[in-house]
Amino acid sequence: MNNFGEAMVALGLIAIGLSSLSYLVLCLKPDNGLARNMARLSFVGFSAFMTIASLLLMHFILNHEFLYSYVARYSSRSLPLEYLVSSFWAGQEGSFLLWVLLGSWLGIIVIFKAREREPQVMLIYNLNAVFLVILLIKQSPFRMLPIAPPDGQGLNMLLQDPWMVIHPPVVFLGYAAFAIPFAYAISALWRKEYDGWIKPALPWTVFSFMSLGAGIMIGGYWSYKVLGWGGYWGWDPVENASLLPWLAGTALMHGMVVQRTRKKLRKTNFVLAAFAFILVIYCTFLTRSGVLANFSVHSFVDLGITGWLVIFMLVFIAIFLGLFMARAKEISAPAGGKSMSYFSREFGLIVAMVLLCLSTVLTGLGTSAPLITRMFEKASKVSNEFYVHTNLPVALVMLLLLSFVPVMVWGKNSFSKLAPRLVWALIGAAVALGVTLLNGFPGTGVFLLSVLAGAAVGMNLFLAIKFVRRQISISGTAIAHLGVGLMFVGIVSSSAYDRSVKVSLPQGTVKSALAYDIDFEGPKMSRDGKGLRLHIPLNVNKDGTQFTAWPDIYSERARDGQVRRFVHPHIRRGLISDLYISPVDFDPGETKESGHEIVMQKGKKLRFHDYEFTFARFDVSRMMGDQGTHGGMTVGANIESSYKGGEPVTLKPVITIGQLHSPSSRVKLPGPQEAYLTLVKIDASAKTIGLVYEGPEPQEEKTTEKKLPSVIAEVSIKPGMTVLWLGTFLILVGAGIAVFRRWQ
Amino acid sequence: MKKSYIIGAVIIVAAMIMAMYSFKSTLTPYVTVHEAKAGKQAVQVAGIPVKGTARYDARSNNNLLFTLREDGGDEMVVEYDGQRPANFDEVTKVVAIGRYEPKKNVFTARQLLVKCPTKYEGRVKGE
Repeated sequence: MNNFGEAMVALGLIAIGLSSLSYLVLCLKPDNGLARNMARLSFVGFSAFMTIASLLLMHFILNHEFLYSYVARYSSRSLPLEYLVSSFWAGQEGSFLLWVLLGSWLGIIVIFKAREREPQVMLIYNLNAVFLVILLIKQSPFRMLPIAPPDGQGLNMLLQDPWMVIHPPVVFLGYAAFAIPFAYAISALWRKEYDGWIKPALPWTVFSFMSLGAGIMIGGYWSYKVLGWGGYWGWDPVENASLLPWLAGTALMHGMVVQRTRKKLRKTNFVLAAFAFILVIYCTFLTRSGVLANFSVHSFVDLGITGWLVIFMLVFIAIFLGLFMARAKEISAPAGGKSMSYFSREFGLIVAMVLLCLSTVLTGLGTSAPLITRMFEKASKVSNEFYVHTNLPVALVMLLLLSFVPVMVWGKNSFSKLAPRLVWALIGAAVALGVTLLNGFPGTGVFLLSVLAGAAVGMNLFLAIKFVRRQISISGTAIAHLGVGLMFVGIVSSSAYDRSVKVSLPQGTVKSALAYDIDFEGPKMSRDGKGLRLHIPLNVNKDGTQFTAWPDIYSERARDGQVRRFVHPHIRRGLISDLYISPVDFDPGETKESGHEIVMQKGKKLRFHDYEFTFARFDVSRMMGDQGTHGGMTVGANIESSYKGGEPVTLKPVITIGQLHSPSSRVKLPGPQEAYLTLVKIDASAKTIGLVYEGPEPQEEKTTEKKLPSVIAEVSIKPGMTVLWLGTFLILVGAGIAVFRRWQ
Repeated sequence: MKKSYIIGAVIIVAAMIMAMYSFKSTLTPYVTVHEAKAGKQAVQVAGIPVKGTARYDARSNNNLLFTLREDGGDEMVVEYDGQRPANFDEVTKVVAIGRYEPKKNVFTARQLLVKCPTKYEGRVKGE
């Protein structure tokens, strides 16, 4: 193998294989010190090889080593440093390497933290790594071209955004981390410790939740900021691919909390840990095997890993089911034996888990629609309405739970004790009700969503403040739940109260849209990378406040000859609502010429500005005479011309064939203005002549005859976007606080 | 616990039935222009955009309007509230997903899938 990078990956596979074997020995003989050292050392070796391979790829990208196909496909010389760095994970091969790399680093922390469970946990964790490294070998980022091209193809313009630099690492950290709760679950089944695994695995579950959640939110934010379609979530297969394991992971997280305190849900949590992890692989399969290539805006090519991903999935399903079945009878012995109250915190959590799983299954069903339908007929996808219709009832019940379950205690609750504590939920609901109705009834479903989101915000805001005052480390749950409520407030207001209008804006004309006066100054071009960026400065005015918006349209010709166009919106953020201006299309109008072309038919009268012209006849009198001196034919045209109904004058412009601009082809027009006519074309058979007019243009002519550049822009007011982002941010903050507390 | 299992099962079964219904109703089948005009369902219609017909009309909220012609020669006007695909004049095939509105006599597309010459050929080979 003549390739250092591929050699590193191959050595990594050997190291992780060795580590796995040693952990297997350790599982069977827990006291074998040699096996333990061997297992740990080779894992560290694996991590080191992956780190070197990654540094190598980064080195090749930074130094423009276009001999490597991956470097040539995803980077170019003109990219700035930050986007050179992010081309590392712009393609499938590089992002697999990133996934493996982050997984190898996390693994070292797991070794330190797993203690007596280390052999089993790491055996399963390693098996996952083995599969990922095999995929990495199958689709290597170190594949070489026969000759290095002079420059690379560059990074997709859409990915040239700071958020897209950090989005993939955050998502893959989450993907890598979901293997850890699963590894703990398998180790628990193996070791027959059906409750003990919860405590060490819970922080990892929250960590996975936080990391993948952050990835999803960054993705949504990027979509809103860059894509210009005005939304943040499109139910695209790639987006759903990160949402599905996250939803299942959220259910797992709640189940673990119930089991930790009430010793219930043992079986459920094993199944959920497996479900979330298998979903990570399943979603990788959906988005990377090319099965959905026709159904996603993201282009994914099958690189020949489909089979491996299916094997990968089946192996883990088999391992889990095998162990789970073998232990099924033992697991179910409930520790407490007491029956559960239906009016308790744990019951609320269980309902929430059922809802989360329902949402996962429904969303998964929709995402897999092309796979399911192709079995019966032609593959087709479901529309976004499916996701909205099915998830709306789930969200309603979830928000209802959020507005009272957090104040319940474990075990039996009495309503009389609970009721006074619900005042904050009622206040929140009342505020939401008022605000919603003041802005117009949005339909029953959305109305309920709004009121319940308000109740959830009210209740959890109260709890968050209470806990933060008492001790910040216990406030994580309340802050995250407050975030969920705020997020839904944002979702409701931005989708149901979004106002949008499309305006056509000719240059220099003030148009009004949604009470904003908008004036298009005219386009400005700049070269950017391999294409052209058309800046569209718009002066926006409302009630005396004025600013300039700079949306733009970027276009470049790709290597296949196709023009790619990317529109970039301008967003003016506000606490209440965002103003979102997105260009739809640009019409360059007529390019400004120095003259104005006129075509005249023989014998016909023509009015032009203040003149009246009649093309009387061709003048061929000089055809013979000048032939000798000029070497071309000279033809003239006699034109009767008058200014403002004055005395007609006969103009005699002539052109010499073969000579483009002879002075004799240009004649001054009668009248006081500096105006000229130039004869440019003669068509004897059609009896027409072409003339160019140069001179002052009457004012009204400019607007009616000359088409100015114009832009069609979509102007929208999106209320609640700031609240939405705040909500998502609080979810992450809350999760972060919880992770910190559990790891102390 | 038994009672809760039954309640849970009923909820899940109800949700699944609802979901299957929604699933079936939001699937968009491929149909001809003729069938699209006859039905009320959301459908997909494939054809080519007739050259020179793409325009924005202030009377329809400045949406993109163009004439779609399918293989048999049947035509319909498509209205689309979104970006005009970059190389619309070179497009060899366009799939409009949406509904026909008899009142306006236009097909309101909520999504346009565009196939360009090179990509399309690649797709055919791959299938």
